[in-house]
Amino acid sequence: MFTAAAESFLKQAREIQEEELRRFASRVAAILQGPELGPEAADCLQRLHLTVAATKYPRKLDGKFVELLQTVLCSSKSPEQIQVLCAAILREMSPCNDLILSCDEIQDTKLLSLVCSVLLAQGNKKAEVSAVGQRIVKVLERRLPERQGARYLLPVLSNVISLSPESLTEEQTNVVSKKMADWLRYASVQQGVAQPSGGFFSNPRTRQPGPVTEVDGAIATDFFTVLSVGQYYTEDQWLNVQAFSMLRHWLLCYGAKGLKTPNSDDKSGMDRSVMSMVSTTSTSSRLLLPKDRLREKAFEYCQRLIEQSNRRPLKKDDGDLQKACLIEAVTIIDIICKQDSSYVYRAVSFLKILHSRISGDTTYARALLPIAQFFLNHGKMAAVDSDAIYKHLFTDIPAQLFHNPSLAFEFVQFCKDNTQLFTETSSIFRQSFPNLFKFLAWNSPPLISEFVDLLPFLLDAGTAIEIFHLLLDLPCLTAALDIQLRSPALPTSEKAACDPAVKPATCLEAFRHPLYKSMFQYLLRTKSAPEDAPERLIPLRQLLGSLASSPRVVQCAETVPVLLELFFRVVAEFADGPLINQLVVLLLQRSDQLYEIPAFKDDVYRVLGSQLVMLCKLRPALVVELSTEILEFSGTVSNIQNKEAIFTHMVWAIGEYMSVSYDKRCTVEQINQFFETLEAMLFEITQLRPLASTPSYAPRAISVLMATLTKLAARSQDLIPRVSMFLSKMRTFVQSPAVTSVYCEEDLDEILIRATELMNLLKMPSVAQFVFTPPVDVASTRFQREVNDSLPFALRIVTRLLEPAPGFMPG
Amino acid sequence: RQVASQCRLLQSSSGRPSSPQLPQLPDEPISLQDAPGGLFQLPPGDPFPERVTVAWLSVVALAFALVCDPQENLSLAEITLRRLAPRLLTSLRLLGPGADVLLRPDAADVLLDRLLPHGQMLFLNEHFLQAVDREM
Repeated sequence: MFTAAAESFLKQAREIQEEELRRFASRVAAILQGPELGPEAADCLQRLHLTVAATKYPRKLDGKFVELLQTVLCSSKSPEQIQVLCAAILREMSPCNDLILSCDEIQDTKLLSLVCSVLLAQGNKKAEVSAVGQRIVKVLERRLPERQGARYLLPVLSNVISLSPESLTEEQTNVVSKKMADWLRYASVQQGVAQPSGGFFSNPRTRQPGPVTEVDGAIATDFFTVLSVGQYYTEDQWLNVQAFSMLRHWLLCYGAKGLKTPNSDDKSGMDRSVMSMVSTTSTSSRLLLPKDRLREKAFEYCQRLIEQSNRRPLKKDDGDLQKACLIEAVTIIDIICKQDSSYVYRAVSFLKILHSRISGDTTYARALLPIAQFFLNHGKMAAVDSDAIYKHLFTDIPAQLFHNPSLAFEFVQFCKDNTQLFTETSSIFRQSFPNLFKFLAWNSPPLISEFVDLLPFLLDAGTAIEIFHLLLDLPCLTAALDIQLRSPALPTSEKAACDPAVKPATCLEAFRHPLYKSMFQYLLRTKSAPEDAPERLIPLRQLLGSLASSPRVVQCAETVPVLLELFFRVVAEFADGPLINQLVVLLLQRSDQLYEIPAFKDDVYRVLGSQLVMLCKLRPALVVELSTEILEFSGTVSNIQNKEAIFTHMVWAIGEYMSVSYDKRCTVEQINQFFETLEAMLFEITQLRPLASTPSYAPRAISVLMATLTKLAARSQDLIPRVSMFLSKMRTFVQSPAVTSVYCEEDLDEILIRATELMNLLKMPSVAQFVFTPPVDVASTRFQREVNDSLPFALRIVTRLLEPAPGFMPG
Repeated sequence: RQVASQCRLLQSSSGRPSSPQLPQLPDEPISLQDAPGGLFQLPPGDPFPERVTVAWLSVVALAFALVCDPQENLSLAEITLRRLAPRLLTSLRLLGPGADVLLRPDAADVLLDRLLPHGQMLFLNEHFLQAVDREM
């Protein structure tokens, strides 16, 4: 990580002992008290800083030394570098009990800012934040001469209000609001002058500075903003930049309506806004309260920024700032409108124009989000139809710009901030969820935790099935998006030349191929479209197999198990009988139709297996209702190996729930049918082939098959002899050399023990029946709760009963 | 740590191999246009008490992270990061063999104080940025 030199320095610093540190500190003290503070002092302070900072636990420095540091920090004789170092050390030691620093006497604003940084790091135990806040406001209140930089103080103020907004009184916030309004609106529009360089040959007559320009070079004709350009800047222009930079924060903190203004007492919101429509040029702004005045100036500033963002900048990087300013301006306007709804009508008109201007430009896509948020918040009040805005945002943007990670992140945040939009079934937001998943498919690592938060809002009875399929096909979506990005736009003549009879050679070719085109279109759809035939995408999944090992696809595949588990957890809360049945059928079906990534399939099977059990627990009757599908699944030998997790859990569920106590419709014939199928399975996997090598199956599959057969036999007692005979043969199986070479000894022992226990149980059929078919309402006792545990428990009890301990059996 | 794993995941997803050696320090200013970067969120308690968003940027073997409150302008955060990184790289010689990053906290503090004073991000256009650079 670090270079070798840095590593060794760090290690040394961490290992310095108390005594050595004390000696070093006294040496530094001596130097600091000397006449000149030169490079040696700086060097020592740097090393001291490293020592103090290198350890997680606080280092102790002598109280007098700490006092000395503070004195040096505040002394006007100390060079800037020394001051910065002292401040850094003091901050590193926070919270510090020996702090005598106070910001009250310091006049130099740069130093004041430095001292405040130390004070604000103390954790506010002695109301330092409030003291700093008071001092800053006092300094700002005074008229500072030109040289004294008030601009060093505004960031301190911003920090103060983050830490403790209550530390300023209303009077103080009014003072600052008033100043901010002036700085925002009335900064100089002439460029600053360079500081005279002095020297023998310097020309004492400096050139007259010209006016500031816009980013495209045109002369500015309106007031100064952050998008105004000059060679040198004046102090008030600096303040303009800083005031805007902290404006959002300030308005959020102190802008909300608290007191009643004299004008608004008896007028409703509607009337006020009518008034402002009539008098659009704000006339008597001087009569407004500071808060309202700041709001007015801030609004004008943001409006100007929006106009300025239309210009083509001469410097490319200014374009990035224009976009950031645009986002900030719209956001601030939104806040202003929330605080004073009379601004809504003014804002709506130019925001709509802005939207039409930028909606076609993908580089401005991130700015569409705050615009949409504004219309979501205020559109109703302004009786504006903003559906077109939402439609464009949710239909076009994700499809075009899923690959932009910053946009993806902010878009998903937008969805999370507005989850109430997704509850309405017919809304454009809800219908667009396939589009939203494109963000996740492409940018999996940063967005998975966001989608974990978002998914529950997208799920309901209407979308559950489609989302189930979508989650299982998420890595396919990644692959398809990759192809979409790479496929060039073909001229129409080439499109026609695609021969349907010829199979495409590459995925890229397949993108345009008539056979695959509609499949791609379905996978890449922008709107919800519930499909009845999940087999439709099978050829496409096979085709995309060549991309299955691409890193992005693999990353996406890793997110699926997490989302699947969440999916089932949420669905379990609202799913009714038919939906549960449908999910089980699809679960079994889709287990054959998964994208070919081995680790992915294993993980998915694991999740599906355990969720299958959950669904059966929710609705035990499904085992009877879906007996056809379940029989087919559990009767397929290849499933035991390929989809072991699902198979094992399915068989367990059969054993558990195929019973009259769970569904009155369960007949003996059905039990016998399941028995025969499973018996055949067990036979298949335990038969000893003399010549061919024995394939190995998961031991737990064997166990669960034995257990389920026993359970079924307990319910249809004619089957007991068959099971008993089968179980007795397990000893031969376990001891045969062909088997011992393939399975490990512990597993075989376990199988034999289990077979013996089950056989013993069947010797007492009524007990077996009780154990395996408990009344449903006893379900909450500990005995029943985790059946996977309780069966061995029950078996042990029975085994003990059958093998009498001395003194146990009477007579 | 989280930034490192996000960075590695992003790089691996774009198929670029990560180069283990440190390259020679280039003479001309490093262009960060193509440097990989991104955004992600940290839930409350891990390790900050409130929910925060992290903007990150990776340059060769180094990662820079800027931690933002939920209410802050993420576009500006990315811009700020892309301005801080090359200046820190140069001023602290971060890609070189020395240990300046440890022994020159004052250099880092001065830079941060200009571009991110008290943690406040600034809307600086290119000319303003030049004025800031001149002051340092």
